Amino acid sequence: MASITPNPSQESKPSFVEESLYEVHKKVHPRAVSGVFATWRWALVWFTQLAYYGTCWLPWNGRQAVLFDLVERKFYIFGLVFWPQDVIFLSILLIISAYSLFLFTAVGGRLWCGYACPQTVYTEIFTWIEQKIEGERNARIKLDAAPMSARKLWLRTAKYGSWILLALWTGFTFVGYFSPIKTLWSSVLSFSLGPWETFWMLFYGAFTYLFAGHLREQVCKHMCPYARFQGVMFDPDTLTITYDTERGEPRGARKKGVNPQSIAKGDCVDCGICVQVCPTGIDIRDGLQYECIGCAACIDACDQVMEKMDYPKGLIRYSTEHAIEAHWGWKEIIGHVVRPRVIIYSAILGAICVAFVWGIATKASLRVDVIRDRATLAREVEGGLIENVYRLHVINVSEQPHRYSISVSGLAGIDMTGDRIVEVPPAAAKTYTVQVRVPPDSGKKGSNQIFFDVKSLADEKVAVHEKATFLQP
Amino acid sequence: MQKILWVLWPSFVVAGIAEGIFFTVIDPQELYLFGQPVHFSKIATYSVGFFGFWAVCAASSLMTWFLQLSASDLNKNMHTPHHSGGSVQQ
Repeated sequence: MASITPNPSQESKPSFVEESLYEVHKKVHPRAVSGVFATWRWALVWFTQLAYYGTCWLPWNGRQAVLFDLVERKFYIFGLVFWPQDVIFLSILLIISAYSLFLFTAVGGRLWCGYACPQTVYTEIFTWIEQKIEGERNARIKLDAAPMSARKLWLRTAKYGSWILLALWTGFTFVGYFSPIKTLWSSVLSFSLGPWETFWMLFYGAFTYLFAGHLREQVCKHMCPYARFQGVMFDPDTLTITYDTERGEPRGARKKGVNPQSIAKGDCVDCGICVQVCPTGIDIRDGLQYECIGCAACIDACDQVMEKMDYPKGLIRYSTEHAIEAHWGWKEIIGHVVRPRVIIYSAILGAICVAFVWGIATKASLRVDVIRDRATLAREVEGGLIENVYRLHVINVSEQPHRYSISVSGLAGIDMTGDRIVEVPPAAAKTYTVQVRVPPDSGKKGSNQIFFDVKSLADEKVAVHEKATFLQP
Repeated sequence: MQKILWVLWPSFVVAGIAEGIFFTVIDPQELYLFGQPVHFSKIATYSVGFFGFWAVCAASSLMTWFLQLSASDLNKNMHTPHHSGGSVQQ
């Protein structure tokens, strides 16, 4: 070390670290794999993408079922309408997501990363397209190394073209959650898309293309914050993808069906297929690494090799640190799922979920905000009455139009002018100006408490009793 | 390239969160720009807001990157012979 850093006052470490971070990115060409876990991964690809590409097209009560209307500042999710005042539900939803992630990670490791994360899902789809066009792993490596030719140009154009189309559709779908998708689609067809809609469509599409087509495992390794801290949720009873070192080592090549003990070797035939299928290009046999996204591709691959060799499956398998040490079977592993960390996560998650459902179920379908007109505090009108002016912001949160009655109380002789019966369309807000008048001797000088009552004519349970201040000069 | 990503990526993530929180709480129509009410469309305000947040966050990330440079990184730029540890390495 000293010879390459002649000045002892300078640490050799930073420049060294920096160089290792500047690793030359070797393109990972994962080999296609089939098996139980590959089937699970594809099932999740179908499930998440049918939900993503499909939900925005569903109708509901004559509108889009799921629409985050930023212009009107209303979020529609099937029968529910969320207003900015409902931000608490969004926060609770985020907390639920976070705790679910903690719980799943503590029990089953990186299940999210391996099966459900959009980065994994889109990489899976983009790699599938690549494989269909350019061929299997070896063909792709060869094609990368080959000089440009008519064939290579054609294959590359076809691949990038398909990726771009898919990315554009993904971007279009994304914008379709914020701007009604059917209108959006007709504007696409007539080339009359708004500038910002076009921009966000291209922006989201470009990120999809870049992340799933080119960056792939780099996103998980260098960009994802979750990958960095997921380790703290692991404990020795967490299921991870584990290579059974005791059973596998010493590794080495041999003929099919040879008993490992007869050649003083472990079960690992050192075929390297577990490395070839790995989307992040690591060797699971080196132990648990933060690069491992838990996709279980190596389990499927190794099981196939073990089957060919007539060895028992599961040289690489879902297991826990304790299970590997103590040679536990599934029974003991499952017996250790219930532990303080899991109980605490589950209890918190359960409580928040109950609160969330209760909150949604009892969400008020009418809201009223009373705003005093600050321009005129109080004035005398005909007949010597004292008048205060208010603006009533009536929000109909429900999906039906409602007629409401407005009344005022709280002071002797109190009365109001303005609309007494109002109609508010579904999921809309209207503002009404109301003049409240009282005799000059009613109440005390200064501020007096009065109440506005807004009641639905159709359903008397839908009512709001709202406080306001009346100024008596 | 990696340095550019170190600056742009974390700021992008934080800008997304900031944008979400800010515009959930504040209606774009309540904003004033140089004393005049904002008259852009809401989508334009949201978009400009996002890039504003991104720019501010990127400035912060850039400064973090700048301040965490090590002594040897800085000394590389000093062309006096006894401080040239960095260049000998190369």
